[in-house]
Amino acid sequence: MPLDDLFAEAERQMNICNSCRYCEGYCAVWPALELRTELTKGDLTHLANLCHDCRDCFTACMYTPPHEFDLNPPKVFTEIRTRTYGEYVWPRRVPRLLRGAVGGIVVSVVAALVMLLLSIPTTGARVFSADASGSPYDLMPHWLLLIVVGVPSVWAVAIGAVAVVRYWRDTHGPLADLASPRLWGRALATAATLRHMRGGGEEECAYPDEEPTPARRRYHSLTFYGFLLCLLSTMSAAVMQEFLGILPPYPLLSVPVVLGTVGGIGLIVGCTGLLALKRRSARDQTTDTMLKADHGLLSALLVLAVTGVLTLVLRDTVVFGVILMIHLGAIVYCFGVAPYTKFMHGVYRLLAIYQDEWEHARR
Amino acid sequence: MRAEEALRSDWDVVVIGGGNAALVSALSARDAGARVLMIERAPVAFRGGNSRHTRNVRCVHNAADEYNTGAYVFDELWKDLCGVGNGPSNEELAEFTVRESESAPRWMAEHGVRWQRPLSGTLHLGRTNRFFLGGGKALVNAYYRRAAKAGIEIAYEATVERLEFDGDRCTALIVRHDGREYRLRPPAVVCASGGFEANIEWLRRYWGDAALNYHIRGPVYNDGTVLAQLFEAGAESAGEERGFHAIAVDARSPKFDGGIATRLDTIPYGIAVNRDGHRFYDEGEDIWPKRYATWGGNIARQPDQIAYSFWDSKVRGLFLPPMYGVYRGDSVGEVAAQMGVDPATVTATVEAYNAAVDRSGTAFDPAVLDGLATRGLDPPKSNWAQPIDTPPYFGIAMRPGITFTYMGVAVTRDARIRRVDGSLLANVFAAGEIMSGNILSTGYLAGFGMTIGTVWGRIAGAEAAKHAIG
Repeated sequence: MPLDDLFAEAERQMNICNSCRYCEGYCAVWPALELRTELTKGDLTHLANLCHDCRDCFTACMYTPPHEFDLNPPKVFTEIRTRTYGEYVWPRRVPRLLRGAVGGIVVSVVAALVMLLLSIPTTGARVFSADASGSPYDLMPHWLLLIVVGVPSVWAVAIGAVAVVRYWRDTHGPLADLASPRLWGRALATAATLRHMRGGGEEECAYPDEEPTPARRRYHSLTFYGFLLCLLSTMSAAVMQEFLGILPPYPLLSVPVVLGTVGGIGLIVGCTGLLALKRRSARDQTTDTMLKADHGLLSALLVLAVTGVLTLVLRDTVVFGVILMIHLGAIVYCFGVAPYTKFMHGVYRLLAIYQDEWEHARR
Repeated sequence: MRAEEALRSDWDVVVIGGGNAALVSALSARDAGARVLMIERAPVAFRGGNSRHTRNVRCVHNAADEYNTGAYVFDELWKDLCGVGNGPSNEELAEFTVRESESAPRWMAEHGVRWQRPLSGTLHLGRTNRFFLGGGKALVNAYYRRAAKAGIEIAYEATVERLEFDGDRCTALIVRHDGREYRLRPPAVVCASGGFEANIEWLRRYWGDAALNYHIRGPVYNDGTVLAQLFEAGAESAGEERGFHAIAVDARSPKFDGGIATRLDTIPYGIAVNRDGHRFYDEGEDIWPKRYATWGGNIARQPDQIAYSFWDSKVRGLFLPPMYGVYRGDSVGEVAAQMGVDPATVTATVEAYNAAVDRSGTAFDPAVLDGLATRGLDPPKSNWAQPIDTPPYFGIAMRPGITFTYMGVAVTRDARIRRVDGSLLANVFAAGEIMSGNILSTGYLAGFGMTIGTVWGRIAGAEAAKHAIG
């Protein structure tokens, strides 16, 4: 759908929603809509990113198809979010190869092969031998590892920052309004507890069926906090190495290994759960594009988690080297293309929640 | 179970209808141990009758709680009911309904209904009415989920075409589904199939050709087939023939099922003129929500059943934005021309109105009856009378939107249907709009239709089960 048509359709639907307002108890989107009588693209983008896609509104709506009003807020919001994910990053046109599951696999495998090739001249062919100590530095020098993982990470952070600025200008305006520690406290608390996935606070949202259930909120929390623990694991390893001078491999009861193991398992359970719920969810309230993006992100996180846990479990075996290279390849891919994937939903959604808190503070 | 199979099976209680009253009847009968079949005319997507467009229920409560901002005791609800239209039709049954309403919210919550805390959009009724989280369709969905769990069968897209009687006893229901006719012989029947508002021909008997221009806010299925069958079986009627609740809706609304979204609330902020460009009723007479109920009837009594609302830039943003947008122009005449009303007459009407606005009065305040009135104008505008003089100007065309009809069957305290000859139908019970005329016959009390449906659904379901299985 061309952009203007998309926003015109979203505006048509939201005008009907604004004349009804029955959904206002479900989540933050509807009270936010009530503050607006004339809707701009920025408003619609804000509402779409504030939407957590639980579909309670669709289930409760008497105007969904086949009713002639043809309302489908979850779907039109999904379409706008897809546009958000493409619109605010740089460059806007990313080769299709870098998106989706096939691209992910191809890029990860290529990155893993490149690292294998780099490993051989720099550390000998130890990558294929069973006498490795379980330390990555047997297979790749420290400086090379820093470049391989560091460059895509820095790139991701820089592009993410560009996206934040562009998104905020479109949906809100002055960057200075982002400087309230009090509002950040509230926004982060709302995001961290997934308050907007609680179906109006009384029970839970009803995704993926019609019965209220905490399943999605819990799996999402496992995924998010699992990812966070894995990041902390990596950072704690860096601290141990750089500041404490303790080199890997770390013992099973060390901070990096415990955090990584717990985080990895959380990610695996969370992603698997979310994928299973997604299989059961209604197809008429989303788009194929978003489904692919969701599967892409969840599969990538699963690959990261599984290969990460395997590098630990198999670190004394002959396949350690290959597994490590695949894990690093997945990291390169995931971090390098993160700004162009569904990974960014967290950033835009957090900004939308912050904007919502900003509006609350002024009500 | 497929509908074909359900319609061939034996049941203790068959409930005709698929909205709130039908669901409450079915759940109550099931709670009492009966095997229950519901027969819903609509497909799943449109199930729930008028209830899918509702939002709250008005019940007695003696203290504030999470969902009601204050107490609303028996005497106050009773007084409110007496203040509506001509007041209760049958005082005994109306008082009984109010008394029974107190236990309704608990029963509803126990059967899966979720409430919404008072928010900006619900505050004006937050003390007296409890709001359903997500509205009426969410309530109906919750009841249907509970019904499925309880083992209640539902035959969708099935129409009860005839009720056969032997004396005072209903011996069979003739049901059409997917082109086939089925004959059911349940020991007890609950009729919870709503009023007849979607039956334009029936409305025409009382309203003449004006009925052709009415919009029906609820589903197309509420054509009163079952009600007509009951009258044919000698049921006594309750409520006035012309009794209905109607509001002003956007003239561009669909003929049926536009629900809440096509409602307009622009009238008090400006003036309303009829087809000929003349004002015809005090636009500032009353505050929300009573004025809603007034204007549907007002427009229904105008030539061609159409009226036009005009306002100016001063009051923009004070009311809900109409879903289809508004007409707009640099002069009132320009807006009138866009809507097909004579610009010269409307301009003259606005000038006469502006000249009559008392500019020395109090400040404009849309939240209260502000006393800002016209002088020497007929009809007057007794509140919120500001001159219409600040461009751009806006307008919208309005039609009567019928929410429900009141006339139904007369019932006893245990929801049995009375006959004209003074006897009772032995095994037929009624709940909801089909018998709301016993309680109210004119006017409108927000959320009370759901109260009637819930209170009488509980009684009809339990009594039908008792009758069927003892």
